[in-house]
Amino acid sequence: MEKIAFCILLLPLLSALVTLLFMRRKGNVASLLSVATSGGILFFALILILGSGVEDFAWDTTWFKIAEWELRFGFLVDGPARLLLFVVAFVGCLIHIFSLGYMSDDLAKSRYFGGLSIFMFSMLGITLADNLIMIFIFWELVGFSSYLLIAHYFSSKEAAQASKKAFIANRIGDFGFLIGIVLTFWTFGTVNLVELSDLAEFDPELLSTILCLALACGFIGKSAQFPLHVWLPDAMAGPTPVSALIHAATMVAAGIFLLVRIDFLFTNEASNLLAVLGASMGLYAGFCALVQRDIKKILAYSTLSQLGYMAAAFGMGVPGIALFHLMTHAFFKALMFLGSGSVIHACHHEQDIFNYGGLRKKMPFTGITFLVGVLAISGVNFLSGYFSKDAILLVAYNLNPPVFVILYLGAILTALYMFRLYFITFEGMPRSSDADAARESPSIMTIPLLILAVFSIFGGYHSLYPQSIAGVIIDDLEFAAQLPNHLWMIVLGTFAWLAGGLGAKYLYFDSKRTDPLESKAPSFFKLCSSKLFFDEIYGFYIQRIQDPFARFLEVLELLLISGLLVKGSAGVAGMMALISKACYVGRIHAYGFWFVVGTLGFLFYASGFLGN
Amino acid sequence: MNFDQIILLGSIFIPALASIVLFLEICKSDKIAKKIAYFSFGFPFISGILLFLRFDNSLEGYDFVVLFSRTGLQELNIHFHLGLNGISSPLFAMAGIVGMGAGITAIHSGVDRLRLYLALLLFMQSGLMGLFASIDLFFYYLFHEFALIPTFIMIGIWGSRDRKSIALELTIYLTLGALVSLGGLIALNVLVDAPNFDFPSLSRAVSELGMESSVQSNIFGLLLFGFGILVALFPFHTWAPRGYDAAPTSVSMLHAGVLKKFGLYGLIQIASPLLPDGAMFWSPLLLWLALGNVLFVGLVAVSQSNLKSMIGYGSVMHMGYCFLGIAVCSSLGAGSAVMLMVAHGLSVSLMFMLAHNLYTRTGTFEMDDMGGMASKTPLLACFFIAATLATIGLPGFGNFWGEFGVFLSLGEQTQHRLFLFLAALGIIISAIFGLRAVAKIFFGSASEAHSSRKKNNQISDLSFFEMIPAGIILASLLFLGLWPVVVSQRVDREIQTRFESQDRTYFSQTTPPCCPPEQESLDLNSSLPSKEKFLSNPEY
Repeated sequence: MEKIAFCILLLPLLSALVTLLFMRRKGNVASLLSVATSGGILFFALILILGSGVEDFAWDTTWFKIAEWELRFGFLVDGPARLLLFVVAFVGCLIHIFSLGYMSDDLAKSRYFGGLSIFMFSMLGITLADNLIMIFIFWELVGFSSYLLIAHYFSSKEAAQASKKAFIANRIGDFGFLIGIVLTFWTFGTVNLVELSDLAEFDPELLSTILCLALACGFIGKSAQFPLHVWLPDAMAGPTPVSALIHAATMVAAGIFLLVRIDFLFTNEASNLLAVLGASMGLYAGFCALVQRDIKKILAYSTLSQLGYMAAAFGMGVPGIALFHLMTHAFFKALMFLGSGSVIHACHHEQDIFNYGGLRKKMPFTGITFLVGVLAISGVNFLSGYFSKDAILLVAYNLNPPVFVILYLGAILTALYMFRLYFITFEGMPRSSDADAARESPSIMTIPLLILAVFSIFGGYHSLYPQSIAGVIIDDLEFAAQLPNHLWMIVLGTFAWLAGGLGAKYLYFDSKRTDPLESKAPSFFKLCSSKLFFDEIYGFYIQRIQDPFARFLEVLELLLISGLLVKGSAGVAGMMALISKACYVGRIHAYGFWFVVGTLGFLFYASGFLGN
Repeated sequence: MNFDQIILLGSIFIPALASIVLFLEICKSDKIAKKIAYFSFGFPFISGILLFLRFDNSLEGYDFVVLFSRTGLQELNIHFHLGLNGISSPLFAMAGIVGMGAGITAIHSGVDRLRLYLALLLFMQSGLMGLFASIDLFFYYLFHEFALIPTFIMIGIWGSRDRKSIALELTIYLTLGALVSLGGLIALNVLVDAPNFDFPSLSRAVSELGMESSVQSNIFGLLLFGFGILVALFPFHTWAPRGYDAAPTSVSMLHAGVLKKFGLYGLIQIASPLLPDGAMFWSPLLLWLALGNVLFVGLVAVSQSNLKSMIGYGSVMHMGYCFLGIAVCSSLGAGSAVMLMVAHGLSVSLMFMLAHNLYTRTGTFEMDDMGGMASKTPLLACFFIAATLATIGLPGFGNFWGEFGVFLSLGEQTQHRLFLFLAALGIIISAIFGLRAVAKIFFGSASEAHSSRKKNNQISDLSFFEMIPAGIILASLLFLGLWPVVVSQRVDREIQTRFESQDRTYFSQTTPPCCPPEQESLDLNSSLPSKEKFLSNPEY
């Protein structure tokens, strides 16, 4: 079993190494190698998932040891790991195939596909890791591969800034995560997940809110939650398949996976905080998405909002449903991102939705699959998003009414901005020559769309999955099924997407090149566009506080240490030299005088005159 | 004398001999001189790795011991005593690797008076190899001076602008540090009345005799500040960035990478294990000073616009982590500091080398005058990004283990947790300056100054001879990052025996002695890993 796990983990690393060493100039070979690798990963992942059944599987060996810190390199393949493994391998494979078409004209293909392989390696590492430090290691590595891939078009200033911002924001989250791991190590004496869960059960007094909040910082950084959410919209400067894979389907969802892995460490206070934080993010990101013009940024904010839903589900104590939503979200969000990639590809890298229009007729395949994604995320009855999102809403309705209100508003908003995106992009008349000349993408790009659309429709029926994948979500789903107010929730849920969809049709159908909301509700539009000034505040902090402070320290160092201490001590030495030089006056009676004084002083001392 | 001992001696004396040959101008052609240099940098490189791999981890203490008593100094109880232990053997290998990198860079650097340059560099290399191989304190110190003196000369001759004043400042600082630490070493030797000058007999003498705490703290203070100045402990660090800025690249590589580890090596190998009470006494102050390295110097690095000074400040900042590891007085901290020393030596020398490669292409170290280099020099960009990420402690590269271990060791004691919190801010600071540099140099579009220069001469990617040393060092960093247990098991064994007494001191301090027995198992939370508690509980 561990051999299969090693195969899954080392295959992409090997592919990345081979690409780096031998295929820097052979982009086509590198891309095929990378796609083959992703196929291999999917193959081995399915063997591992189906082969292990519902049994948990763990294996480890010593990786590093200094004194009392022994780090084991180990695998833990349990329910959550199998689910995420399936999502990563399956969605990853489709996105690799899509990339073949999307990146076909790119000059730096081998760098791109090498980066994808490094990403797959690190992401699978997070999935399979059996202890917190190992998770942390791969955690940082996914951050690195995300950095590399965001910076793919490095000659644009935007990409250069965005990649840096993403890495540093992630590092800030990792800072808390790291402290959390250190505290965990010394509180529990281990970082192994299985041992931790036993210990937490054995002695609940060891748990503390500070500890789990520190660990949750990792989630906040990686899943781009408040207050570190600013990096994700900027990260859209990378190639679109990367946004689909890393910044929608898998890496950002790894934050949720981390929470699920350590859910036994969470105290009630911390959980409630996360629920509120997640729900607010769901609403806040919805408002931001409502006024964006860039197709990818709309999807990015929608990802933030959906991650908020998952966090809320986790916070309310149903991690299984959080994972369920993670999975369905991976399908429909990857679908929509790839769909947007198909549109961007067809319109010569135009990303402003108001320059599209009428694309459903030009590219029917992309249009219809995109519509499936929109319907799924809006929670239209019996599509995948309906099952996972309404399960979250139902739990919130029964357990945490304030959170429910926020989440429900967010759900209406979701339908509104997603239908807005759909109507402006695919309906009406083309609003630019690029959109007018758009053609359907090649089948290597549309087939992944089709497969994802099928999963977006049927992915919500958990009984369709093998027990080894769905096992982890069933318990929480059954818990939700037993809650009251089921029927009422169905009515509310249907109302939410209908209201959002019809509102969008009324507002945006057949709109011109400006946003209709801007003229109808200018102050609301402005408020949403400001995104509550987070970027401005951070920019202000960096430019007006951090950098001047760093320069101030530099000056301080120059003045105090280099100037005062170093030059000062040189000055003191010089002064001593002057004083001692003054003694050498060169006159015999002066020497004689000092000789007599010295001798007398010695005699006095020797005779005990100056005390004992 | 067996094979291992011969190559141990060879790795010290072959560079020294080659240096003399080149210095005396026995060969007049640069071509032969280069071949000699290749061989004599290559020998320590290969033998360092070989000895590291052949090191017998089941033995306690030193392996490959060479002992010459008849040096003429035996009257003074000084013997020529060489060997490697678990702490020194990875550092010895690191010195060989960095030396190889610096050597190849020097050989192809095309400086004036190449033979003299190589002669001095080889002399330095010989001293560096000898330093880590010495068991005898006298030779340990002597080899350090061998390595140090060429530094001054080389900065004075081949340095950049205002080299004279910087060379002078460096000399004053470093000789002062060396002098203070020498005072400490002599005091230690005299006070315990050791039969001779080597580490094992010193530690035997200390353990037999025992030392008063006040005496220990005085001597430790001398050693700490003496060695501290040599390692650029805040606030005695200003010589380092200025010195590296002015020094020729190979010298910066060897000095920042290897020679600077002399002080830390002394603290970990000698001072901390022999003077545990002294280490405890100075620990609070050292923690604050090391924090100064991490935060103060780190932020100063953020505000640098010159690439070479940024690397210099960055390297001083990371020395802070090593000091933190020493200051917590536990084997975990010290062991992690050793891991970080090895990795840092590799990564900082790689950074200096790549900065030099950038300089030969752009003619400047000012980052604002570069820009968009990644499209012209993808390989250089690849190496530079890898080196930067290694420096800032990305897992997968060697530096991660040491840094993480230091953070972990800071978490052990509740009174150190504040330092954990503050020191961990360093991972953000170093990411800021590292990635800013990458973005400024390689991403975006070329700056005005840079593009006008580009028009005049074509910028080419890394040549073969630039790639080889960078590749060697990067491969070692990756090896250390991906398979750390090879190094850590050697360090671990040695460090545990050395720091046994300190770990025990802490253990007895944190265990409340007056607890009733049945309550004790509950009160141990802070000191004993609860896993043991959990396993030892029969009810479970």
